[in-house]
Amino acid sequence: MAGKIEKDREGRLHISRSSISSRINKTGSWRYLKPVYAGRTAPCSAACPAGEDVPHIEHLASQGQFRGALDTILKENPFPAVCGHVCFHPCESACNRSCLDAPLAINAIERFVGCSDTEEKMLPLIQTVPPNGRRVAVIGSGPSGLSAAYFFCRLGYRCDVYESEKEPGGLLRWGIPSYRLPAAILKHEIKRIENLGAQIYCGRKVSASFLRTAEERYHAIFIGCGLARPIRMQIAGDVQALDGLTFLKDIRNGNRGAFSGVSAIIGGGNAAIDVARSLVRLGSHPIILYRRRVEDMPAFELEIGMAQQEGVDIRELTTPVRMDKSARGIALRLQKMATDGFETDSGRARVIPIRGERETLPVQQVFTAIGAEAENPWQQPKNGSGSILHLSHCTLTTVGFPIARGGDLVNQVLSVSDAVASGKQAAMAIDSYFQGGWASVEKRLADCRVGQGPALSLESYLMNDVSHQRHPQLVGYHDINTAYFLPADRAEPMVAGPKERRASFSEYRSDFTTRSAADEAGRCFNCGICNDCDNCRLFCPETAVSVEDTRRIDMDYCKGCGVCVVECPRGAMTMEEAEHETGS
Amino acid sequence: MKQVLEGSHAVSEAVRLARVQVVSAYPITPQTHIVEAISEHCSSGRLAARFMCVESEHSAMASVIGAASGGVRTFTATSGQGLAYMHELLHWASGARLPIVMAEVNRALAPGWNIWVDQTDSLSQRDTGWIQFYCEDGQEVFDTTLMAYRLAEEINLPIMVILDAFFLSHTYEPVDIPDQELVDRFVPPMEPKIRLDTADPHALGQMVPPGAYMEMRYDIQQAMERVPFLYRQMEGIFAELFGRAYGDVEAVQCDDADIVLVVSGTATGTCRQALSDLRSQGQKVGMLKIKMFRPFPDESIRRALNGAAKIAVVDRNCSFGAGGIFAQEIRSTLCNLENGPPVFSYIAGLGGRDITVDTLEEIYYRTKALEQPDMQSVWIGLEPET
Repeated sequence: MAGKIEKDREGRLHISRSSISSRINKTGSWRYLKPVYAGRTAPCSAACPAGEDVPHIEHLASQGQFRGALDTILKENPFPAVCGHVCFHPCESACNRSCLDAPLAINAIERFVGCSDTEEKMLPLIQTVPPNGRRVAVIGSGPSGLSAAYFFCRLGYRCDVYESEKEPGGLLRWGIPSYRLPAAILKHEIKRIENLGAQIYCGRKVSASFLRTAEERYHAIFIGCGLARPIRMQIAGDVQALDGLTFLKDIRNGNRGAFSGVSAIIGGGNAAIDVARSLVRLGSHPIILYRRRVEDMPAFELEIGMAQQEGVDIRELTTPVRMDKSARGIALRLQKMATDGFETDSGRARVIPIRGERETLPVQQVFTAIGAEAENPWQQPKNGSGSILHLSHCTLTTVGFPIARGGDLVNQVLSVSDAVASGKQAAMAIDSYFQGGWASVEKRLADCRVGQGPALSLESYLMNDVSHQRHPQLVGYHDINTAYFLPADRAEPMVAGPKERRASFSEYRSDFTTRSAADEAGRCFNCGICNDCDNCRLFCPETAVSVEDTRRIDMDYCKGCGVCVVECPRGAMTMEEAEHETGS
Repeated sequence: MKQVLEGSHAVSEAVRLARVQVVSAYPITPQTHIVEAISEHCSSGRLAARFMCVESEHSAMASVIGAASGGVRTFTATSGQGLAYMHELLHWASGARLPIVMAEVNRALAPGWNIWVDQTDSLSQRDTGWIQFYCEDGQEVFDTTLMAYRLAEEINLPIMVILDAFFLSHTYEPVDIPDQELVDRFVPPMEPKIRLDTADPHALGQMVPPGAYMEMRYDIQQAMERVPFLYRQMEGIFAELFGRAYGDVEAVQCDDADIVLVVSGTATGTCRQALSDLRSQGQKVGMLKIKMFRPFPDESIRRALNGAAKIAVVDRNCSFGAGGIFAQEIRSTLCNLENGPPVFSYIAGLGGRDITVDTLEEIYYRTKALEQPDMQSVWIGLEPET
């Protein structure tokens, strides 16, 4: 690198000073690895059944751009406020920040963002496809049906939603107690879906004959009517047991009975917990009886904890064997159970009765909440007729025209966010079918996976190009440069104490303030996305990184040293093998 | 105005009054008091300078090299391991002809880990092209730092102002601190000869092939050779303004001395006392204090020592395999003199071991008793082996 060397003889100073720019040395030629702005997927996004782009949501929220955060959620999930109330937040369990101090309060932030949208005539500023002239019938207006309607409308379909009850919402309206999800919140989010063009017809229960004539008026059907038939115990005297789901519906209908004394609730899922916590508020002392151990209960841990604080007793390894009328109510005969060290086919702990260990529990009333099943056979897909595709959150069949079934009817995990995933997956699957035929559906959907799936991104689907695909690799904690993050306490809105909670059916969680929501969102690492922190540009020893509208690396000078990748706090960059390319 | 100041604060006060513009440093005992005080001056605005905190001494020197290349007055301070850490950049600073001033607190090199006085650290950098001044007391430290800025900016060579660990850096003495106006007259605003200018961009420190490098190095040597003259001139001006001067060496009672003790640093103060004691015992002894070590003041040394019968050099350092470094350089200066005096080389006071009046008297009497000096340096004050 010999430039012209000037002898600066001013004041007899003989130094080396040259006018040739050092840029004649293209250090990019040394490179065998190169940095890439990889846009890997955050583990929270992959864990979210709806595949929400959580890092972007948090980044926007941290800057006070709650409208932008809301729109980002709405790209993948029509129910931010609802999920902010009732979701079991698998995102927080996957959060990389938990390795530093505590996971981000993603759920509480989503709740804040969802509830911050108070416009009456709001129309989300989100992408839709122009109408394609096709019509879809959606059976059931629970979270899966409404979600399906939302995504079908965005994909250009005309949607008619048929709901048997007098108001839409399914379990959101008629199951989950109001202290967890007030009706007004739900109504507001349903309005958003109606504003997109979905027509909801209430009081219209759908029968098998509807399916037979549907082909004349509709191009596709989504069935999301849930599990409406409660499972009965099938023990002697079980006709005296009250059904838990019916009980919850009555309360949501405004009929609160008075229940005093001890109530026994059979079951271990969220419904059992909802029944128990409602009974507490109605004056009864509930005892949950579950045949396995507490740790095996399918109910959300948070809900179990809340229930116990509110005075709900949980007795594990107990199962009812008969019910007899007694002077004060019901004599419930119980059998003690024990684990035998083995697992059932479904992977749960196997329990067997302990010989001779029986007792009688005197109670005022007994409720069952041991699950439910589909009410009608046509609600379940039949094997052997036509083609059938079992996707992670829906089942697609074609008998003449495509029918998708989703929500609790087919899902492994019975949750609201999995129901949302069903609606989205079904809409994308049916649209793929129309666009590219049956054989194209799985591949098309696989291209839209968030991380390794099963969550799908509608945005990826709409964009339909490689640059908008969500990266299959997840960002792990080892990809985070923790030198750039100081430990900070997790902020959470206050929860009322058990005494206050027991007193009413009102909500007991307060909300973030604007400031605290933004601050908590600021704890997010923003895994895998570039948030313009500028480390790469500042640390590059070759000053090869520039920012115009996007970040670019000048490959004439990038030596592939990898400093930018290490100094990226959030794993938004990776190193790849490089061919020798020059230019930017 | 006279103040009682710690030696390190004699440095920081001079830096403040010299209106230094950029300081970058990494702390190390026992220099840290210097840069702590300066950082407080920067923070309070008493000194309008940018203070760059860095993670190592190598980066500190890199920072002041960068700043000085931009044409501003700079300062850093270090000691012992820290000085060693910036070694390659010491060569850079002088090769780039940058007028950087650094306070260097003489501290022993590890292992063993020792924070006390030893001159091996600064002397092992004697080939780096830096001017080196060794100071006896707080006033000299203050004065030398001011003079360093004027000299460095005149000759475009970097300068180390050297002071003993703890015996000088942490000892409180009365130091006369002049007013800002007076200092401004002696150290005016910097007029840089080298200044990177974005309006006229150039690259500094680029490749220099065999055909041009030697001339650059010759230029540095030429500059060093001009220093004794420039220093003398400058001290004249300093003496006029502040009433003090030191000389590149100080000869005390050497005219009629048979034996001259050669010392540097705080041992000089002790030696003044030893001189007084020995003279009162009738001994014809003199002392030569070496202030300027680079450039090595050959003329002043020859003039002071030529008349003596024997020279006893007290080195608070050792170049392993060769011995006391001041002694080597003095031998080298005297070697071509006809009938030059023999040089007796002594090593004492390493790693903070005290050099007392007794130590110096032992050295004197031992020198007196021997005809010829040992080939190797003689170590004084070692614990007897058991």
